[in-house]
Amino acid sequence: MAPPNSQKRVKGTQIFRPFVYGTTSKPFNDTTNPKPEGTPEDHTHSWTVFVKGVDDTDITYWLRKVQFKLHESIPNPLRTIENIKPGDAFEVHETGWGEFEITIKLYYIPESLEKPQTLYHHLRLHPYGATEAEKEAMKQQPEILAWVYEEQLFNEPYENFYEILTSPAPAPPKGAGGKGKGTRKLGGGMVGSVGDRTALIPSQNRPGQPFSRESETLEIKRLREAMGKVEELTKSVQRELKEKEEELAKLRS
Amino acid sequence: MTSHDVRDMLDLPGSAAPRPAKKQKLAGPRPNLKGLAREVQSLGGDNPIAIVPEISIFKKRRLASRKPAAKWELKPFKNSAREDDLVLRHWKRKAELPPAPVEENAETAPVEEEMEDSTFAKFNVKVNTPKYDDEQYRSRLESEDWTKDETDYLIGLVQEYDLRWPIIWDRYDYQPPVPALDEGEGSIAIVPATKTRSMEDMKARYYKIAATMMAIHNPVQFMGQAEFSLHEMMNNFDAKQETKRKQFAELNFRRSREEAKEEESLLLELKRILARNDKLTEERKELYARLEAPISSGNLGLYSTSTGLQQLLQQLMTVDKSKKRKSIMGMEGMSPAVVGQGNSQQASGSGDRRESSNHRESVPSNAAPNNKKGPQAAGNERRKLTEEEERVYGVSHHDRLPGGPQFRHEKIQKPITSKSSVQQQKINNVLAELEVPIRLVMPTADVGAQFEQLLSAINTLLDGRKVADKLASEIALATEQKRLREEKEKENKEAGGAEGGAEVKVEEEREKSAAPSVKAGSVHKRSASVLSTVSDKSTKRQKK
Repeated sequence: MAPPNSQKRVKGTQIFRPFVYGTTSKPFNDTTNPKPEGTPEDHTHSWTVFVKGVDDTDITYWLRKVQFKLHESIPNPLRTIENIKPGDAFEVHETGWGEFEITIKLYYIPESLEKPQTLYHHLRLHPYGATEAEKEAMKQQPEILAWVYEEQLFNEPYENFYEILTSPAPAPPKGAGGKGKGTRKLGGGMVGSVGDRTALIPSQNRPGQPFSRESETLEIKRLREAMGKVEELTKSVQRELKEKEEELAKLRS
Repeated sequence: MTSHDVRDMLDLPGSAAPRPAKKQKLAGPRPNLKGLAREVQSLGGDNPIAIVPEISIFKKRRLASRKPAAKWELKPFKNSAREDDLVLRHWKRKAELPPAPVEENAETAPVEEEMEDSTFAKFNVKVNTPKYDDEQYRSRLESEDWTKDETDYLIGLVQEYDLRWPIIWDRYDYQPPVPALDEGEGSIAIVPATKTRSMEDMKARYYKIAATMMAIHNPVQFMGQAEFSLHEMMNNFDAKQETKRKQFAELNFRRSREEAKEEESLLLELKRILARNDKLTEERKELYARLEAPISSGNLGLYSTSTGLQQLLQQLMTVDKSKKRKSIMGMEGMSPAVVGQGNSQQASGSGDRRESSNHRESVPSNAAPNNKKGPQAAGNERRKLTEEEERVYGVSHHDRLPGGPQFRHEKIQKPITSKSSVQQQKINNVLAELEVPIRLVMPTADVGAQFEQLLSAINTLLDGRKVADKLASEIALATEQKRLREEKEKENKEAGGAEGGAEVKVEEEREKSAAPSVKAGSVHKRSASVLSTVSDKSTKRQKK
């Protein structure tokens, strides 16, 4: 690793990469999800916490390892995951009975010269949601998903890192190395020519891949609607203000 | 030099072994290889020729097959493809008769079993021409240009000449049937002028009929792939285009050698022009790119004074030196003079930095002396990404950025999280009211921008509400005051009774002026702002 002071940051430039993190949990039952041997009696769920690329794309070219800090009651609560195959997820499987907040620490590749960053995620074992209807809908699902889309911003990345982030993936080494990438190729509607290393997200939702342009458009639409409502409210408040001021002026006169 | 001499030099026992006697010429006669001439053999010299052609000896096998010669006979045959019953003869091997009947009863044998058909008769295939009856012709095939008679004639020709259009065209000689008229008039009957039909006319007519009949026999939707394409092809036959094509081909065929040459050279010229054009646009593009490149905003004024020039010179020298120094670096000893100079360079360099910090990236040459190593120079050569690439790789440019990694959602939430907890609670309440989840589902750049707008709108809303609340309390206060005042007035009136109205007025005025001072202690500030205009008020509130 080169000493940090020998490199310059690329000024005024920001690069982002989308990724997904979250938890998936499933209650134990005898038919579909039997308790493995040696699980403590009181554990009711099996769950997974993960960090992965959107549409299962490769993120290992900027993310070196991920440290999951689980609840202290779990043996060996500090789990570090690294050296995964490109396209796989950084993930930890566990069993348990309670929800808690997981601390997820992302370590970037050494070329980035960046410090690790921390995310917090609440492990969900039971249906959640703002309304009863949402909860009910979630109850119908076999698994409880608490997935979050996030974009990693690299502000003014160092030059080497900039180079890595803006170059297509190198051709996979011949022979043994090709299994991860070669078989998977591109999922969804990604642009093919530059390989997996893009900031693009698929244009359409697919089963198991809920984050896409489609959801983004929906969200923007929702925000627009909310915006309209707020503007209406503001107008009515202003009207109210005017009336009150007139009233006050009348009283004062 | 022979081995003898070597031995001599090495003091080896001289001629310990006598030189091997020269090979004796093989006197004995060589085995006489068969099949090669002696001269050829002797060409091989000492090494006998290894390859010896195998001589195959032909045995006389003529007598091996002692069969009687096959018998042939001249047999008549007829060709069923012919209409006339012409009988031709040809030689045929006589069928081997079973040798059993030796009694030679040739007379009793059937004379000729059956005159055989020619083997080539099967190649006499006729084309399938469309057949139609009068009814069909009337309903589907009517044409103003063609009479039924002529159409029949055409179909007949087509049938006869197997769709070989040039022949059909050649033989086409339609004579319209002379209407049977009275003899008297017949001599002066108008003979309708026979139209000369071009091959294209005939083709067009024939294809039209064929396609129509095809469609009648087998509706289009039930046609197979091949049938359908054939139908389409026949339906789309364009006589005019065909004529043009032929004319063109004719012209092409008739042009002279010079013309052909000229055309070739013209084509070549065109190619060259196009290539040149391409090159020109390429160059122009490059030029534009160069023109559009950011103009170095380096302050030239910096170098207009003599001290500035001096500095520039020093810089250039430093660059030069640093280059040289690299090569010197390898050696341990550096002359003190160089060290001293290096220090001064550093000093001047730091001065530069201060100056160049105003326009940091724009004048890389200014900053260059500060950098002792290469990567910076490489950085200047950082390849430019196209817009498309920037989109693909998620690259964007901003004026001010905090260095380092960051999460988009955190950034989006910053306007909220930086507020006081009370304010945060209020914003979150509004968001909940709007049914916007506090955790955005897709925190992308676009969503972030939209969310930011929403937040600012919410902030104005909250401010408005705040002002409204304050106004409401003021109104309450003012009404209370008014009530009190009115009560007082009542009391005064009752007390003053018949006293003059003027005094009341004075009293009133006095009270009015006193009123603000009464409440001054508690609501001084508020009342002051209430007096000012609406907008003024709201801004003040916000500031507060």
